[in-house]
Amino acid sequence: MNRAGKGSFSRSFFANMLLITNNPDVRDAFTDKHGITLRFIEGSYRDVLVAARDLIHSGSKLLTHPLMGSLKPNETPYRSVALAVMEGPMDMDSLMLIERSIETFDKFAAVTRPDRGVNTPERMLADFRLIDLSLISSALDH
Amino acid sequence: MKLELGYIYIKDVQFGAKSEVKDGTLYVNKEEIQKLVLEDENLVSCDVDLARPGESVRITPVKDVIEPRVKVEGRGGVFPGWMHKVDTVGEGKTNVLKGAAVVTAGKVVGFQEGIIDMSGEGAKYTPFSKTNNVVLVINPIDNLEAHDYEHSLRVAGLKVATYLGELARNLTPDEVKVYEHEGVLEGYKKYPDLPRVAYVLMLQSQGLLHDTYVYGVDAKQSLTTMINPTELFDGAIVSGNCVSACDKNPTYIHENNPVVEELFAQHGKKLNFVGVIITNENVYLADKMRSSDWSAKLCKFLNLDGAIVSQEGFGNPDTDLIMNCKKIEAEGVKTVIITDEYAGQDGSSQSLADADVAANAVVTGGNANVVIHLPKMDKVIGTLDYVDIIAGGWSGSLQPDGSIIAELQVITSATNEQGYNCLSAR
Repeated sequence: MNRAGKGSFSRSFFANMLLITNNPDVRDAFTDKHGITLRFIEGSYRDVLVAARDLIHSGSKLLTHPLMGSLKPNETPYRSVALAVMEGPMDMDSLMLIERSIETFDKFAAVTRPDRGVNTPERMLADFRLIDLSLISSALDH
Repeated sequence: MKLELGYIYIKDVQFGAKSEVKDGTLYVNKEEIQKLVLEDENLVSCDVDLARPGESVRITPVKDVIEPRVKVEGRGGVFPGWMHKVDTVGEGKTNVLKGAAVVTAGKVVGFQEGIIDMSGEGAKYTPFSKTNNVVLVINPIDNLEAHDYEHSLRVAGLKVATYLGELARNLTPDEVKVYEHEGVLEGYKKYPDLPRVAYVLMLQSQGLLHDTYVYGVDAKQSLTTMINPTELFDGAIVSGNCVSACDKNPTYIHENNPVVEELFAQHGKKLNFVGVIITNENVYLADKMRSSDWSAKLCKFLNLDGAIVSQEGFGNPDTDLIMNCKKIEAEGVKTVIITDEYAGQDGSSQSLADADVAANAVVTGGNANVVIHLPKMDKVIGTLDYVDIIAGGWSGSLQPDGSIIAELQVITSATNEQGYNCLSAR
């Protein structure tokens, strides 16, 4: 991606970037990337959001939108979220955004669908992983 | 800047030995179109089919819809940055094959493409059941990356639309529409007492397969900026995304942006149409902040009284929509936002993923979660293989009798957030 300006900004200004994901393709693509710490979660889309919220409670800030992409939370099982890890007072914008995102997730998850979300069949998983990886990669300039 | 759009009304589409327009019928030479599409070495096959209003035809998975146009007078050419050099468009004369459309179909990511039904229940919800469609079902070489396939499909659609548009070059239009934008200062002098209103057009720009292009440039790499409204009518903005079918803005709708048309219609009467601000919907939160700050700054620079803000997509873009709305209102500029809703199948849930008290004037394209039943069609252009995985469908959506039970979001442009859709509360 040709976004040198933002890339250097994100890596230098937020020295402690943490990428939380439950997507194995994102894990593979971002393992050992300079300036990015990866936390892989063996869990659900919601588990990723909750892990992000816990960090926000102790002062970290969201760098990417938790509901990126147009796939609804009861469709894709994958999620990746980037944060700037820091300690201190809570960032209210990040808190509001993550709380609203979890609320939206729960609204959608209440409408379960066969073969969607956590029950997605193998033939669709690769496409869902690809979308998630593409979006986070372009957001983080990788 | 003055643009005359010459409408040549197309009432039928047929295959013919020669591509031409005769007595309101668009004749297309299948082989020439296939040859044009298959110039791209990433593509192995291109089936060309035709779909007319009222026919028992289902087209899926739909990627984009494009209206054939040709520049007959003035600078540049239609789809600048793609089919023509990057020269400013939006003035002179452009001929339009009104009533015709190029529809591209292919499984880029199956769940993000849509359905167009030419008759029955589904036809009521998509504006493209009323156009005479030249449908390209395009297959890529093995193992082509999804974003390269998307690029090839996008260019194929633009090429064929340009090829068909060229047929209108020497025709006499059935109707001519004139759009003139006199510029900010002239507009102010001419209509000092009318409210100054601009359109803030949000472009989908979340990343690969979620992009929109302005003069060939990926919108996510741009700061919020201004564009002359008539430039849109010459294809300055091209869709490159695979978001949910119901609320993506196909290239056709950018070419026919209904908000811009209506603002022109009211210009000098109810309001002074100051211009169009284009901004993006990036995933990175610092980008969102920068872009929405910039939208608000431009609204202030222009001394607006009001702004209409439209979005594309759901979830992440809702945040950009609300940030734009809040910040523009904070500059003392009244806003009206245009969105659609994911309010649950019974319509009782919170509609958007974000909200603010400043968003107190909202126009909706409808509830994308509404469940619809689409009857079996006699003919399918494309494949039904992805109906069970399309966004808004689910395993079992495709019934044994060939009918489909799914949410409205499967239908191309059903809840379009520029208002180019068929739902109404009237």
